[in-house]
Amino acid sequence: MVNSLDLAEKEMKQYIVVKIGSEQYGIDISYVDNIVRLQKITRVPKAQSYFKGVINLRGEIVPVMSIRLKMDLEADVFTNSSRIIILKLEEKGALGIIVDEVKEVVTLSDDEIERNTGKKDTFINGIGKNGDELISLFEINAIVEENI
Amino acid sequence: MDVSQYLEIFIDETNEHLQTLSDCIMILEKEPDNKDTINEVFRAAHSLKGMAGTMGFKRMQHLTHDMENVFQEVRSDKIQVNSAMIDLLFKCLDAIEAYLNNVKESSDEGTEDNEIIIKELNDFIATANGEKPEAAPAPAKETEKADSAEPTDGVGYLQLELTDAERNAIRAAEESGTNVYGFMVSIHKDCLLKAARAFLVFKAVEEFGQIIVYRPSSQDIEDEKFEFDFSFYISSDEDIEKIKAAAAAVSEIDKVVCGLVKEEQITAKEKKEEKEVAPPPAQTTAVAMTTAVETVPEQKENKPAAVNKKPVAAKTVTGRTIRVDIEKLDALMNQVSELIIAKNSLVSIGASESGNFQNQSFHDQIEYLERITTNLHESVMKVRMVPIESVVNKFPRMIRDLARKLNKKMELYMTGEDTELDRTVVDQIGDPLQHLLRNSADHGLEDNETRLKRGKPEVGSIFLNAYQEGNNVIIKVGDDGNGIDVEAVRTKAIERGTITAEQAENMSKKEIVNLLFLPSFSMAKKISDISGRGVGLDVVKSNIEALGGDVEVATSLGEGTTFTVRLPLTLAIIQALMVEIRDEKYAIAIGSITTLESIKVNEIKYVEAREVIHIRGNVIPLIRLDKVLDVEKQKEEEEDLTVIIVKKGDEQAGLIVDNLMGQQEIVIKPLGKYINNNKIISGATILGDGEVALILDVNALF
Repeated sequence: MVNSLDLAEKEMKQYIVVKIGSEQYGIDISYVDNIVRLQKITRVPKAQSYFKGVINLRGEIVPVMSIRLKMDLEADVFTNSSRIIILKLEEKGALGIIVDEVKEVVTLSDDEIERNTGKKDTFINGIGKNGDELISLFEINAIVEENI
Repeated sequence: MDVSQYLEIFIDETNEHLQTLSDCIMILEKEPDNKDTINEVFRAAHSLKGMAGTMGFKRMQHLTHDMENVFQEVRSDKIQVNSAMIDLLFKCLDAIEAYLNNVKESSDEGTEDNEIIIKELNDFIATANGEKPEAAPAPAKETEKADSAEPTDGVGYLQLELTDAERNAIRAAEESGTNVYGFMVSIHKDCLLKAARAFLVFKAVEEFGQIIVYRPSSQDIEDEKFEFDFSFYISSDEDIEKIKAAAAAVSEIDKVVCGLVKEEQITAKEKKEEKEVAPPPAQTTAVAMTTAVETVPEQKENKPAAVNKKPVAAKTVTGRTIRVDIEKLDALMNQVSELIIAKNSLVSIGASESGNFQNQSFHDQIEYLERITTNLHESVMKVRMVPIESVVNKFPRMIRDLARKLNKKMELYMTGEDTELDRTVVDQIGDPLQHLLRNSADHGLEDNETRLKRGKPEVGSIFLNAYQEGNNVIIKVGDDGNGIDVEAVRTKAIERGTITAEQAENMSKKEIVNLLFLPSFSMAKKISDISGRGVGLDVVKSNIEALGGDVEVATSLGEGTTFTVRLPLTLAIIQALMVEIRDEKYAIAIGSITTLESIKVNEIKYVEAREVIHIRGNVIPLIRLDKVLDVEKQKEEEEDLTVIIVKKGDEQAGLIVDNLMGQQEIVIKPLGKYINNNKIISGATILGDGEVALILDVNALF
């Protein structure tokens, strides 16, 4: 698995900026396979509570996770701007996460990112500064991990 | 029994295991404490050993056994992985690969014992356990070889009758100052390809000089017209010992006798004999030259022909077949799946927008398309179906060998070898079944005296019965031996800390027996190369589950144990009944459904506080799918209930659903690795309108 920390220290990196609640989050673009509109999600009984179910993505079954529930935020409210971001991970395959809105793609260099060191049990591996705006950068591997 | 027809499978599987081993050892080198990898490495070595044993490759089995020992020590934390060990392990892999290459070339593992590596392995374990390395056990084979190599018996090469031409050649060689050596080479009695061996000997010695005399003639040697030894004279400037070593290095050569030949010796001996008309010397050399050249292509033709002999014979029985790469079939299968999904969406368009498509021929064409895709799918499935015969046929031999090794009398009874399964399933079912049979032979059956004392027939029986049941194939493997001592398992589990004493109190007999499927849980008191290291049942279970099947065990102390392996007939496409529960759609495999019933609520009765219905003399427990699947409750219960009666083996159950939507061919897709494997859902499928429906695994509901 690519260590996103190592890579970021050397080069500029692109992030997709999404909105969840009032906060802005950045997702390393190298993990993103696709962004799709919200579609019918089929509930899977007995699955982990933060899995909303599965969707049909061009003939493949892709599980969809509520990142809000995973982070212990209040449940999703689906609007017209809600999107599912399809992440592609080498080992486990595709996974969709629901976000409230997709805003833009930003390029951040390492000095624009403040790493949170020492903190554990978090889905965020750093704070990016894009002008005046602050973007919490997701640690994808932590999101994918089974338990918090 | 003839195992040659399994050579191909053996070679493929061995390659695979070698690859796994080398990958895992690489990982271990970096992460010496990676438990998963250690387990995996151990399993691969274990399977490798088992396979080599089954095929009768003793040397290979020996080496892998000792290699496995090392992994065992690592697994139980007695040895730390270090670089010396990694080096040694790779040496082992190379040696195994060398065996495999021999097998590929000549259907035989060759004669290399690899005693050095085996000794190193054992030393490694010994040092790790704090013992001094033992002196290497005298390599019996080699001493034997050395003994017999001494020219004690008659110098056969001196007895040869020479033609004048050959004598001239010898004389010429002597005059030019090169030595002429006589050789007599004996080939191993069991050698199948004597000519090939002889050729290899000639090839080896020709690096040192020129062969001037062949006895029997080179043509006869090529045609295998000789017993087990042949002689030749070679003119060479090299040291005789070098040539001898080169000749002796060829496998399956029992001994090489040689010595310096002087022309006078021969002439002296032959003086008494009548002289023959001497052909011109030039011709002799020419003959020698051409034969040397000719042997090369001859040899090449010879070998594959001999290797193929048996498989070819086996193939003719099955009639006209072609070998197709399974990947090509998979690709074909995927395309058929896509076609069926596309067809399903056409069907649903036709159904929902019938107002716009009043044209009768449109519906006719859709029906036609439906028939074609169904037939196409069936054909593709059939192409992928092979009888389990190819896997189970190696078992009688295995049981026979085990009977000898364990010194127990036993007999294997098999039925249903012609039961067909998807090729991918058949390929992977061999290992688990082998484990189960070994278990039966080793742990299941009592020894002969005990059996007699218990009033059982002296010869233990082991059985393997395969048959099709609905959409499943059932393979039952068992024995009439001692059965599983549930109490002993309970005690052992508590001893090992697998469960606490309180937990043990509350566990049913079945749950206790199922503990045997946990990794590293072995009941064997001593380790043998047959079973008892605690790999086996857990591997069996995980292998079978990976194929979408399950395994159950039924045992009765003193009477025997039966493992029931249930496997899906097909992996990709099934006929399913679509049902609705509130607004959710589920698919249930048609194969597990017996009947559909419509019942009134007041027909539900209660037995032991469970809902049951009484239909045609059967009392069938009811399962409310909405509860099992956590669907929202209905406000008022309906008067009429739709019940699907399903079966698993001899058991039946009634599933209550809201609506039946009809039968459909569905393509099974996996749910992926993220969502916790809940056994009730075995996969998902995409409906005609693009919606996802989940597939219920009826077996998990019981």
